Amino acid sequence: MNNHVIQATNLTKVYNKGGGGEVYAVHDVSLEIRKGEYVAIMGASGSGKSTLMNILGCLDKPTSGSLKFDGVEVSTLTDEELATLRNRKIGFVFQLFNLLARTNALENVELPLIYSDRTDITRLAREALAAVGLADRVHHNPGELSGGQQQRVAIARALVTDPEIIFADEPTGNLDSRASLDIMFLFQELNEKGRTIVLVTHEPDIAEYAHRIIKIADGKIISDEANPQPSDAVQKISALASPEVDNENK
Amino acid sequence: MKTSRVLKVAFKGLGRNKIRTILMMTGIVIGITALTLILSAALGAQDRIMERVKKFGLESMMVRAGAGQEMGQPTGGQPATTLSLEDAAAMKQEIMAIADVAPFNRKGQAEVKFQEKFTTTSVFGVTPSWAPVWDWNAVEGDFITDEDIASLARVCVIGPTVQKTLFGTADPVGEELRVGNVQFEIKGIMQAKGTSPAGGDMDDRIYIPLSTLMRRVANVDYISAIKIRLTTAKDMDKTAADIKELLRERHKLAAGTPDDFTVTTPKEVTKMAENVAGTFNLFLALVAAISLIAGGVVVANIMLISVNERRKEIGLRKAVGAQSKDIMRQFLYEATAVTFIGGVIGIILGAIGAMILEAITQMPMSISWESVTLGVVFSSLVGIVAGLQPAKRAAALQPIEAMRA
Repeated sequence: MNNHVIQATNLTKVYNKGGGGEVYAVHDVSLEIRKGEYVAIMGASGSGKSTLMNILGCLDKPTSGSLKFDGVEVSTLTDEELATLRNRKIGFVFQLFNLLARTNALENVELPLIYSDRTDITRLAREALAAVGLADRVHHNPGELSGGQQQRVAIARALVTDPEIIFADEPTGNLDSRASLDIMFLFQELNEKGRTIVLVTHEPDIAEYAHRIIKIADGKIISDEANPQPSDAVQKISALASPEVDNENK
Repeated sequence: MKTSRVLKVAFKGLGRNKIRTILMMTGIVIGITALTLILSAALGAQDRIMERVKKFGLESMMVRAGAGQEMGQPTGGQPATTLSLEDAAAMKQEIMAIADVAPFNRKGQAEVKFQEKFTTTSVFGVTPSWAPVWDWNAVEGDFITDEDIASLARVCVIGPTVQKTLFGTADPVGEELRVGNVQFEIKGIMQAKGTSPAGGDMDDRIYIPLSTLMRRVANVDYISAIKIRLTTAKDMDKTAADIKELLRERHKLAAGTPDDFTVTTPKEVTKMAENVAGTFNLFLALVAAISLIAGGVVVANIMLISVNERRKEIGLRKAVGAQSKDIMRQFLYEATAVTFIGGVIGIILGAIGAMILEAITQMPMSISWESVTLGVVFSSLVGIVAGLQPAKRAAALQPIEAMRA
């Protein structure tokens, strides 16, 4: 039995620069991600880590190389099959949250479900929001939520289809340290329940939560190592030892 | 994805961007309102023409004395004397397609007096057959009878315009008025008929027995025209030819000489009435086309801008599993909903406007549902086509490319 969610071989993404030059955003990258892994892809800005994540998450197509998702070669899939794959098996969390404006939390979380054949959309969306601690914010629009809350709505949206893997691109990039901690706690919890998580970040302390850290520079993997002692969000939250636990939920 | 779900998404999309939705709808509303108004005016004019033609009668013809006489043309100078009562009788007898004839003589610009009031009007000498042939009778009192003809009676039936001028609201039946120097008793009032195909007032007339006019008033032995009622509207051209042949024979016209009479068929009446309204309609059609195109362009524009603005949304929807066709359908339904609702509002506003205009200007208005619907469909199509193109392009992008834009 194949327990690799992702098997990438020699992935390359080339952008044509004006004037005939070529830029290798991703250069000959091969990697495998197993079910239940918690992986951080780390690199400086411009290192190609986001491009790599977009390709792994089937949001973008590689210029060359092979990508197998659950053992299926992605390049053989039609656009429709790809859309279905993204819908059923992949959840995304973006740095800028990417919530629909003037649309309440519930409807934002329902978004992936309306493109699925599920019928119990509202129930699932409410459950997902409850799972990220926003059961009392379902009818709030993004503008009425803090950054951390917005990102949690986005995580609920990523979770709601019960995907195999969640990709998060700098999920804490626009959040303060406390809100970041809450988000990292959520990811940790999700991973403990068996969800595969791929986290893209340039912040070493965020990457430290992952169990495996892949470092990227100039589109190439420069190291791929297990993290023997990942940070524990639970510990850090209690270490804050603040009597008022969650400012945002007030 | 189920249609009901896409519809919901589309309506939510519209609700989220109320200003854009309202702008887009306003474009359509203005275009369709203008279109409805204009088409109503054009159709109203058209209806008026058809009404006039119907007044002439679709199963009727007119034979006038003299060559090249046009309807409604004032008979200046010497009146043509070439048509006689015997001509009328012969036509009825010999041509099968003729059901009845109504010979008449018209004396234009006669001075009519009632007590201190006077007016100038046309005096028609007619026979009782006038009523069935024109389908036009007295609504109060009686029309001219055979006895009136036989006794050269000094009786008359007046048109509503004459009634209004001389009597106001008083009942004129039984009163006496003077035509020239002859006293006439009013025995009836004609049914109102309005404007003739040529534009004259068909109610500004006085009818007296034809015999009375010929012998007592004008002292002539000819008539000015014969109105003919046909048994059928078919083979009109053949009947016209038959009439010409008969009259040429009776008038002993040698081959090669021109007719000394004129036959007018409904076809010619229609043509004439259309000439009157033609320029007007052309202008209206132009304005209608412009308003349609303007409406379409507004929708097209806003759709274009909207799609570009919403590439991020398209990218996100694709990232969470929307297929290209779901995106296309969303935009299609949004554009359709906006143009449809805008179109319906436009039609309603246009119809109300048409009614108001009709009340104020007395200009006849008639709403053409078919053309208005066509207008809505057309401007919707323009908007949809314009919106779908960029939506298609955005939907074809890789999700991340669309999101980045």
